[in-house]
Amino acid sequence: MSTVRSRASLTFSGGVHPPDYKHFSEDCAIKAGPVPKQVCILLSQHIGAICQPIVNKKDAVAAGQKIGQAQAFVSAAVHSPVKGIVKDIVLKPHPVLGREMAVVIDAAEDNVARLPQCGRFHSDFSAEQYSCEQIVDAIREAGIVGMGGAGFPAAVKAKTNPSTPIDTIIVNGCECEPFITCDYRIMIEWTAQILAGVKLVSKALNCKTVYIAIEDNKPKAVAAFRNMLAATKTAAGFEVKAVKTKYPQGGERQLIKAITGKDVPTGGIPPMIGAMVVNVATAAAIAEAVVLNMPLTHRVVTVSGRGIKEPANLYVPVGISVGELIDFCGGVTGETEKIVLGGPMMGFAIADLSTPITKTSGAIIALTAAEIGDAKSTGRRTPCIRCGRCIEACPVNLNPTKIAHAVKGGYLDVAQQYFLTACIECGCCSYVCPANIELTGYIKTGKILLARQKQLIPK
Amino acid sequence: MEAAQAVLENLKVSPGPHISRHYCTRRVMLDVIIALVPAMIAAWFYFQMQALIVLASCVISCCITEWLCTKVLKRPCTLGDLSAVVTGLLLGFSVPPHLPWWACIIGSVFAIGIGKMVFGGLGSNIFNPAMVGRCFLTACFGMLMATWTTPSTIDKKMPMMSPDGIIARTQATPLAWAKKAIRSAAENDPAKIIELDESNLGSLKDLFIGSRGGCLGETSALALLIGAAWLFYRKTINWHIPMAVLVSSFLFSLVFWLINRNVYASPIVHLLSGGMMLGAFFIATDPVTAPLTGKGMLIFGAGVGFFTMLIRIIGQYPEGIMYAVLLMNSITPLIDRAIKLIPAGGKPNA
Repeated sequence: MSTVRSRASLTFSGGVHPPDYKHFSEDCAIKAGPVPKQVCILLSQHIGAICQPIVNKKDAVAAGQKIGQAQAFVSAAVHSPVKGIVKDIVLKPHPVLGREMAVVIDAAEDNVARLPQCGRFHSDFSAEQYSCEQIVDAIREAGIVGMGGAGFPAAVKAKTNPSTPIDTIIVNGCECEPFITCDYRIMIEWTAQILAGVKLVSKALNCKTVYIAIEDNKPKAVAAFRNMLAATKTAAGFEVKAVKTKYPQGGERQLIKAITGKDVPTGGIPPMIGAMVVNVATAAAIAEAVVLNMPLTHRVVTVSGRGIKEPANLYVPVGISVGELIDFCGGVTGETEKIVLGGPMMGFAIADLSTPITKTSGAIIALTAAEIGDAKSTGRRTPCIRCGRCIEACPVNLNPTKIAHAVKGGYLDVAQQYFLTACIECGCCSYVCPANIELTGYIKTGKILLARQKQLIPK
Repeated sequence: MEAAQAVLENLKVSPGPHISRHYCTRRVMLDVIIALVPAMIAAWFYFQMQALIVLASCVISCCITEWLCTKVLKRPCTLGDLSAVVTGLLLGFSVPPHLPWWACIIGSVFAIGIGKMVFGGLGSNIFNPAMVGRCFLTACFGMLMATWTTPSTIDKKMPMMSPDGIIARTQATPLAWAKKAIRSAAENDPAKIIELDESNLGSLKDLFIGSRGGCLGETSALALLIGAAWLFYRKTINWHIPMAVLVSSFLFSLVFWLINRNVYASPIVHLLSGGMMLGAFFIATDPVTAPLTGKGMLIFGAGVGFFTMLIRIIGQYPEGIMYAVLLMNSITPLIDRAIKLIPAGGKPNA
């Protein structure tokens, strides 16, 4: 396609270059995690309406059985990853939303650790035998959501919309967040499975132009895909693109900008410019769902950070607690200051280790003062020195300091004049701020206050 | 294992991101101080003990003033951010080498007290504190502020240009000569015409390495450029402001120089003399008082360059960077308001 830019310029403006800290876990092959005694399946693991539990207390559930039903278009079902008995349906700690309803299941004694399904896919997989409806229905039934972090229901994205045809599918293998290596490992180990998933999406959207975008600091993953594409005939129109290593290259808008040179309209969505981005882990889950009829109940989680004794990439059931995975990896060292669910830039610091893993949790990171930084670790702040580094770093070209100070002062209207809602919350501004001001934190708060003001969400 | 347990009970929670660039305000200021070290060495080399007295009295009194202000305002002590040290150094660098220590203290107290703390301290001040202090000194002690000691390296038989002819070893700065030349040309008296050449301006080499009269820290362009290179290397400043200042003043002086080479000093002389280097790289780039955006910085820098040359060539004073910086400081909020950033995806349709 002519709109695709040369390799040298495959990036976006702004962004930051944090140390990638991937060495902790990048060479750890994916292995099965612990078998949980109890799992806790949150009913809201996605963007959109919370799903309704369809099991009752003391019901017996089988592995893969649906336990939460989506009741809106933008929602996703949840399934039990294990065989067991429903213990309770109660409020449980949620990594993002505070506390949310969850189904707690006591696992049966005879559960065994599930292994990845990658061996059941090969490079010559063809999506032709599946119809578009079949693919979308399977994705919806499997409760697949964007596994890169946002958690947008994949069935919504995979359904063709006549008013916004998709002409470019971008497979997101950037994994620009420091520490996280789960996508890197599956790109190397599950290459065929990911390609199968991408072929299915390409078929469902009737879009033959597919770019597999990988940051150029992952040459092994780039080579894995290039080799496989060279060896197969069923991936015509697919191309691997090594994009510049820069955070947040894996952000949907930034990736589309890097590959196609086009900006997604502010407040709009990628289909408006004919683009669709799918994460590699999501693609792998789609392949499992459509071909093997398996719901999304397991994912790869990177347990890493200087504070983790034995970093690993674990294949674990959704709903297992953070504490259990940390213990499985040898526990934390004494210098750990923060435990983050997700990447260190956009993830959420958690205080309660019983917080369950969700479909979107790519990593558990134990951070020490060395990575957090002296000023941030000790909470040393200065007033804004107006240096403009946040503006330089902002990938959306906003004025973070103005927005943050407007929110701080309670002037939401001023914050909106500076396009508060266009923020993608990537954290670049806070990362570079020499005054150590929580710019992203203020902006997130501003967005929530605004939503409350417009009564989009309850107080 | 017990230690680990204690850790898990005392986890910190805060909004993301959870890592940082390890580049705090203190480090920014420290980099500026490091960048000023070559200029300090040059000042020591040219003005010996006097350099130490001026710099020490400025820095110490700036720090004490800031500490006292925070005490009076019952605020936490802010000396740790090192910004008072930077202000003290910049003030010391921008005054004549033989300024008495008490004048340095008066300037410093005014710089920090009125220039910075009454606005609310670091980040809230409108004007560059060091320039506020220097401005105050110029207003109070005009004569002291225009008496330039000859660097110890220069021939002591240079023409004495002290106002009363008594103070020995003083010398007109190249810019003072440039001004005299312009004035003499305006008087239309052929006998009094002063022609600019190496005898009064000094050679370009002297200007570059600093062997000439001038303020303590601004004489050696070389030392300042070494410091500026450090600032660029550390990404403490970006290119917008210095480039805009230098380009705009170069162009302004170039026009006049091309009109009459005998009366107007060359653009190179203008760039190398006075406070141009110090101003462009260290004073105009003060983040607090300069605009936030790249475009705004270009406008700001161009304005500083323009007003500096306007004052130097047309105005009353031989040097004008101080007033130019203060002037542009005052319109920084306007620049920031005028330059609107549009999100990458265009304005929302709301």
